[in-house]
Amino acid sequence: MSTRTESVDLVGDEAAVNLTRAALFAALVGAFAYVTFPNPVSPVSVTLQVLGVFLAGIYLGPVWGPAALVLYLVAGALGAPVFEGGSAGVGVLVGQSAGYLWSYPLAAGVVGAVVHRGTALRDPAAAGLVTLVAAMTLGTVVVYGLGVAGLMLVLSLGPVEAATVGALAFLPAEALKLAAAVGIVRSDAIAAA
Amino acid sequence: MTLGYVPGDSLAHRLDPRSKLLVQVGFATAAYAHTTPRGLAALTLLAAGCLWAAAGDLDDLWAYRFALPVLLLAPLVAGATLGEPWFRVDRAGAAALASYRVLLLLVVAAAYVRSTPVRDSRAAIQRTVPGRAGAFLGVGVGLVFRFLPLLRRDLLAAREAIRARGGGRLPVHERMRLIAVAGTNRAFDRADRLGTALAARCLAWNPTLPRLAFGPADYPALALGVGLLASAATAAI
Repeated sequence: MSTRTESVDLVGDEAAVNLTRAALFAALVGAFAYVTFPNPVSPVSVTLQVLGVFLAGIYLGPVWGPAALVLYLVAGALGAPVFEGGSAGVGVLVGQSAGYLWSYPLAAGVVGAVVHRGTALRDPAAAGLVTLVAAMTLGTVVVYGLGVAGLMLVLSLGPVEAATVGALAFLPAEALKLAAAVGIVRSDAIAAA
Repeated sequence: MTLGYVPGDSLAHRLDPRSKLLVQVGFATAAYAHTTPRGLAALTLLAAGCLWAAAGDLDDLWAYRFALPVLLLAPLVAGATLGEPWFRVDRAGAAALASYRVLLLLVVAAAYVRSTPVRDSRAAIQRTVPGRAGAFLGVGVGLVFRFLPLLRRDLLAAREAIRARGGGRLPVHERMRLIAVAGTNRAFDRADRLGTALAARCLAWNPTLPRLAFGPADYPALALGVGLLASAATAAI
């Protein structure tokens, strides 16, 4: 019987915590896909996923926030039921919601970079109201900009048609999520941040 | 019903996950390159074959029902015009083909998800992506699969608790805030405990992965994947 020896390359304590936080946040964004709320202007209900993207940028920062969302996309592609309505698979990443999904890591990076003003993390509650709102508005622009572009490419629609199908009915709900996120950050309710 | 891995002994279950991923990438590229009635008819047969090879049936596609409203609406919106002739059949037809193409991609994805255990998917990604990025993705994907059901339960419990305290009367953004706070706090709590525990148990960047090896059935699958990519490339040229 042959034996094999290999040296073990240990993950440092800080990296281990960052890695688990990113993975758990990815799972949380996936779990948010199952929480639906009535949409004020449309019969199609909304989920909390984009709120999860905002919070990933705010609490994990511009490096680990996007990393968490990359994990979310990879896990979903490999079969974790984390996409809308508990769906999964590579097909979803090249399907009609491709633009929205691919925009998530970028949006989390934008939100994180604006809130933390660089790669070093600072207390998000210390960021002013204007900074928070600006960060998340930019994040929403990224998500819907790429989402509508994705619809145009995947479903061969024109810009107005794609915006009608994929953005108009959902933007009012995004304002609610933005208000919820501001409430979360400013209430200091997140203990571990 | 959620789509997930179902143990079995079908042809797709015996394939290496890497060849199944290559077939999916090839299929998606071919579907985008050949969005014509003839191309999609051929790909329909192939997609049905993939699902059949994974011993799947139409029930497995139920998880994708949320995609249907947009896919059905897109051709109608694309065809509608303000003014004469009010509805352009050619535009609606192009959008309908594009919608149908997405459905086919979802069928092939369902075949993969049904026939591939998480451990194999994780090993495939870790062996394909080099270095620490691959290790990060591998460990992270494993943890997402492990913790998704727990966090879903946390959110459900939070929702029940809010409802029991008359939270149904609160404005929507307030309910969103309460659920997100509960979920995020539980996620951070679990992550910090898990991070400490993993560091204490010598979490390594180079863990021992399950063995993956291409078997005889993998070579036709790899050839199929490469063939699909080649057909897309020739169509693009």
